[in-house]
Amino acid sequence: MFGLGILKGMGITLKRFWMPKITERYPEVMPDLPQRSKGSFTFNVDTCTSCELCSMACPNGVIKVEWHKDEAGKKRLDRYRMNLGHCLFCGLCVEACPTKPQTTIAFQGDFELGCWMKQDIYRNWTKEYPAAPAGVSASQPDATQAAPKGE
Amino acid sequence: MVDFLTALFNFWQGFWGVPKTSLAEALPWMDILWAFVYLIGAFVLWAVNVIILIWLERRVAGFFSERVGPNRVGPLGLLQPINDAIKILSKESVIPQAADKFIYMAAPLLIMTISVTMYGLLPYGPGIRPISLNVGILFFLAVSSTTTIAVLMAGWGSNNKYSLLGGMRTVAQIISYEIPMALSIIGIVMLSGSLDLGAITDAQKNLWNIVLQPIAFVIFVISAQAELTRSPFDMTEAEQEFVAGYHTEYMGMRFALFFMAEYANLFAMAALGVILFLGGSNGPFLPGWIWFILKTYAFIMFLLWIRWTLLRIRVNRMMMLNWKVLIPISLVNLLLTGVGIKLWQYFTEGRV
Amino acid sequence: MSDLKKEAFDSDALESDLFETQEFVLNLGPQHPSTHGVYRARLVLNGETIVSAENKIGYLHRGIEKIAEGLTYAQFAPYTTRFDYCSGALQPWAYALALETLGGIEVPERAEYLRVIVGELQRVASHLIMIASFALDFGAWTPWAYAFNAREGINNLLEEISGSRMLVNYIVYGGVNAEVPEGWVERAKAELDKILYRLDDFDKVLSGNEIFLGRTKGIVPVSAEEAIEWGFTGANLRASGVAFDLRKTSPYSVYDRFAFDMAVIKGEGDCFDRYWLRMMEMRESVKIVRQALEKLPAGECRAKVSKVWRPAAGEGYALVEAARGVQGYQVVSDGSTKPFRVHMRSPSFCHIGIIPAKAPGITIQDFISFMASLDFVLGEIDR
Repeated sequence: MFGLGILKGMGITLKRFWMPKITERYPEVMPDLPQRSKGSFTFNVDTCTSCELCSMACPNGVIKVEWHKDEAGKKRLDRYRMNLGHCLFCGLCVEACPTKPQTTIAFQGDFELGCWMKQDIYRNWTKEYPAAPAGVSASQPDATQAAPKGE
Repeated sequence: MVDFLTALFNFWQGFWGVPKTSLAEALPWMDILWAFVYLIGAFVLWAVNVIILIWLERRVAGFFSERVGPNRVGPLGLLQPINDAIKILSKESVIPQAADKFIYMAAPLLIMTISVTMYGLLPYGPGIRPISLNVGILFFLAVSSTTTIAVLMAGWGSNNKYSLLGGMRTVAQIISYEIPMALSIIGIVMLSGSLDLGAITDAQKNLWNIVLQPIAFVIFVISAQAELTRSPFDMTEAEQEFVAGYHTEYMGMRFALFFMAEYANLFAMAALGVILFLGGSNGPFLPGWIWFILKTYAFIMFLLWIRWTLLRIRVNRMMMLNWKVLIPISLVNLLLTGVGIKLWQYFTEGRV
Repeated sequence: MSDLKKEAFDSDALESDLFETQEFVLNLGPQHPSTHGVYRARLVLNGETIVSAENKIGYLHRGIEKIAEGLTYAQFAPYTTRFDYCSGALQPWAYALALETLGGIEVPERAEYLRVIVGELQRVASHLIMIASFALDFGAWTPWAYAFNAREGINNLLEEISGSRMLVNYIVYGGVNAEVPEGWVERAKAELDKILYRLDDFDKVLSGNEIFLGRTKGIVPVSAEEAIEWGFTGANLRASGVAFDLRKTSPYSVYDRFAFDMAVIKGEGDCFDRYWLRMMEMRESVKIVRQALEKLPAGECRAKVSKVWRPAAGEGYALVEAARGVQGYQVVSDGSTKPFRVHMRSPSFCHIGIIPAKAPGITIQDFISFMASLDFVLGEIDR
């Protein structure tokens, strides 16, 4: 009979009316993201060798690495800067990093990346090298692990 | 002072569904005062209904699609209409430069006036009948077709091709669907013997009209959806085709008036359906007006269910549905009603 | 009341002696709630009937093919997902195949199976977008929510395997990017059942609905000859009755090892057929994914390729059955680390070609149904 399709459809919507809802109550309930979820970045200043493979792998030129050569001729990281405004979140930098077992640059599933000021788009990690008094080794890790924002 | 208290007492009686005693002792100016009270009451009811319906519609829409509707603004999102009101009022009201200013500005006022008028005609309970006309239903239909003019004014005055197309479609639709609605109502009128909405309600004390006129009920539901230009007949304001139809160029409070008039008409049409088919304000235990509100909202939920399940119909099929399907069926319904009434009279009263 | 005939449409015939009518120009787009992207159709209307229509595209041109000339082969891979953003995981496949043809790279078997799994899941997700938007263009808000809810399951699976929900950078030249995480295979199998359940609900709400049938049956039929002439590929071609599916007619990757039917509808080729074909295809894709998940072999997930790859000078061309049709990549190399030219053969570009030919004589409502049923994405058209 004419109208049966309509009635069947209305029955389905009525059934769904009473079923539990799937809305996730963000921000009271934070979503449970999988481990590989791509968000912002963590960077380990101690393990970085300034090889710049990540910078060369990036399609958009997001990463800028500043390093200096110390007395032994080895590269030492000064500053690692990422411009998240141009980042595609493709993960080529993470793939390129040779550090094992954990890559120096890695994703954390942090998706709340909105900010008010444009300079907060940049992520900076710096490594300080205090002037070594006699008898103490040159590079003292004195850097923050979390990303301080700002220029 | 005594008269005032008498009148208050009568209102109290009417409020609780007790039939009113005569108001003959009251002074003449009491009628004018009561007219004002009813006028303000109609406005207040109009506004309260709009507020409730804004929340209800979005909540119900969410529930049908497995989501929760508004849930941020108050407990269960109940303060959402306040949010909407503040948002709409804070918008800049721009009049298109080439618009026909008088028509453009008059259209929302006209549609709101029509909407509030319809609220005055409804019998909310045995004692609460703001306007008791003996041609109630006819007047109601006449007033509700005046929305056509308001829509056409909006469409033309906006000086926008989309609006014009939307307005013309709406006019065609509303005018066409008046006919099956009126024909389905004639059956009820024949059964009740009166055009007065109050008398129709009183005639359903023992048996609701839906039992006697199921076909007319179906036709009424379809025509009501078409009159209100709601899905499945909402091609007039189809977002996907005409951006917003006849109210594309309206913003701010003017748009709010169209928006509120649509929801208010929903209540008025549902109330009409309840009065004609579902027994109006009759019911045991509770006062009449509580039954009226409950039944109207149940009918509104039914209309919302239809809206959020079905899709938009094509324009030519809508016309075909009206002229080739609904009108013949409603005429057949009239015939059957007439024959049925005569047979009933023959068998029960022995006369034809 | 009959629909206007499309072949012999003459706008002068509509002018009667009493009224003086005028044709007017209406721009459908680029900002419009129902064009699928920033697309403009310049319509000349007489009342509500279209007299002529022209496609005006280019609003989303980003110069991606030119950008490719400044990036290495590996760096360009994330850009390929941005072409057809509705089916992000299928886009890099054609590019990867073109590079493998160019460089003679052999892909391990496990990688091929993983590519098929992710590709078919993404195809289901893309068709879900099509049917949801198709319903939404008609004013059916609830089925849209059901389809997108089904798509959520797929998005979650893709997020677990690659990290992104939509623009998935998983298929690369040489294989796939990463190994499947723990328990993903079981979760995928459970998710497939949920998707089919929601699809059945969607079906019951929409496909039998008389209003929907009235809106889509008989609207703008495209015959098989016309489809071939206008360069249709993919679901639109099969809905017009031509049995051509790259996965069956010239199978690439490991598609010849799966038992599935090619969905073809031999009928008028109207909007309903195009919609119904996608529903059928989704069920076939679910079958393929189930079989692939069962038979997933052990092995490497990516062939050994150098990160900065310098292929020999030459050209590689590969075709893939993407969600919207046959997508092809032509990669020309001049021996350096950056390609000389990358060109993408986009299926949607050919599909919109038929719009000016079929539009005269139909109303705007039917035009909207027609556009929605063609399922084009502007990212592919404008590149």
